[in-house]
Amino acid sequence: MTLVDTLTLVETPEGISLRLRAAGMMPRAAAWAIDFSLRLVVIWFVSLALAVLGDLGVAIYLIVLFGLFWAYPVLFEVLMDGQTPGKRAVGLRVVNANGTPVGWVPSIVRNLMRTVDMLPICYGFGLVAGFVDAHSRRFGDMVADTLVVHVDHHHGYSSAPNVPAVQSPLLLPAAEQGAIVAFAERTKQLTPERQQELANLLPQLTQARGAVAVQRLLGMASSFLGRH
Amino acid sequence: MKQDVFQARHEAEWTALERWLDLRARPPAKQRTHDAEGLFGDLDFPAAYRRVCQHLALAQRRGYSVLLIDRLQDLVHRGHLVLYRPHPPRWHAAIQFFAADFPRLVRRHWRSMGVAALLFFGSFVGVVVALQVRPELAHSLFEPAELAKFEAMYDPAQPEAKLGRESGSDVKMFGYYILNNVSIGFRTIAAGFFACIGSVYVLLFNGLFLGGIAGHLTAIGYGGPFWRFVAGHSAPELLAIVISGGAGLQLGMAMLAPGRRSRGRAFVEAGVDMAKLALGVFAMLVFAAFVEAFWSSIGWMPDPVKFSVGGLLWLLIGLWLWRGGRGAAHAA
Repeated sequence: MTLVDTLTLVETPEGISLRLRAAGMMPRAAAWAIDFSLRLVVIWFVSLALAVLGDLGVAIYLIVLFGLFWAYPVLFEVLMDGQTPGKRAVGLRVVNANGTPVGWVPSIVRNLMRTVDMLPICYGFGLVAGFVDAHSRRFGDMVADTLVVHVDHHHGYSSAPNVPAVQSPLLLPAAEQGAIVAFAERTKQLTPERQQELANLLPQLTQARGAVAVQRLLGMASSFLGRH
Repeated sequence: MKQDVFQARHEAEWTALERWLDLRARPPAKQRTHDAEGLFGDLDFPAAYRRVCQHLALAQRRGYSVLLIDRLQDLVHRGHLVLYRPHPPRWHAAIQFFAADFPRLVRRHWRSMGVAALLFFGSFVGVVVALQVRPELAHSLFEPAELAKFEAMYDPAQPEAKLGRESGSDVKMFGYYILNNVSIGFRTIAAGFFACIGSVYVLLFNGLFLGGIAGHLTAIGYGGPFWRFVAGHSAPELLAIVISGGAGLQLGMAMLAPGRRSRGRAFVEAGVDMAKLALGVFAMLVFAAFVEAFWSSIGWMPDPVKFSVGGLLWLLIGLWLWRGGRGAAHAA
């Protein structure tokens, strides 16, 4: 059975697995819309600025238009860590299927193939391909062997509160110990009421309710973490 | 080992790597007097990164907390992006590409290129010949208004006029040729994706269209200015069209006949060649646009000069594609 999930695990030469979360068509369309409006604004300003230059201005305008259409995505993707301004705003990144940053050749391929994905109108083929494919790849991504992934936002690491260790009355398997440590590490993000609500779910373990239960759980987390 | 001991032991390494990754971008490496504010040298980065990879593997194996693993995952991911980033473009590689790799690549795909040349030049010559025999066929190819436009552009009765255009200065037309012709070249390449259909269509259409104009103007006696105009840029432009068609055909063959590879694999391999061919086509078409805008339009140049320059370009580009990169030390 295949799991319906956009998460891909890629093994690296270092022997670990990178987690890549493929982005769906909705955030990608939003990123595209941002890039598109940005380019419109640029071309509008360029046309104003070049109006004074006459024919030379027209020539520069046409070449800028060419650059904005064909070179803009490639240059940004390769030089700015796989992110056009639109992708950066939405939190997306283009990477090779093996998780490495996208290089010149794959980026050129996936952006040349926009010609096909745009057909017949409004990225029709690209959208259909993206909805069918397990990793939301449009044709350009398939030929270039690239993925558009979500950039993981680093929330900042908070360690579990340092409270005196409490021995657990029950012998807990590793996964359940992990759950209690995770609870302790997340207490700073939870309101006291929510903390108590969660702690109240484990009466056998804490043998208490409310704030005391929270303190006991935090103490157990300390002991699982190896504090004394 | 309990998580807290593990964390206490390695925390310094992780923060150092985190800070190094933060500082890497500013100031740029070239202007830095010492690496990343004295945390550790750039050369020590791979080792530091691999140690954190090992810590991540240990943390996962030992079932440490999700947040710690997330943090290490994030750190490893950022390090991975830096360690495996593409190298900046190098001049040497660019020269090597155009001098040797590109002609070699064109020759390697000689079957697709041959079919593309046959489709394009076949339809072109066919129409030119047909129009000499039966000039009235031009009216089934073009609208009367279009014919009138072409005739006005190459009217031998107006020798002072710029050749080959209705209006616009050289530099303006240069911009137009870049935008229009290079975009057509790129679209021709990508259009081959669906079983070669798009590329075949573009090749035939352009062969018929350009052949139609050439044949018609020759048949009505306007051939002089026309051939004088197109002689100069014909070699880079027509050969670039053929190569982009060929690049599209080799891409389409990945769908039609992937051979002993999966279709996905075949597309990825064809995609690499497609991108490289597109770069070459881009260079050829920019050169063609330059010639077309600033050389071909000169009206007063005597015929022998125009035609010998055109012939020379055919010869040089032909030689480049035929001999370029032969006998070099390493294969493409």
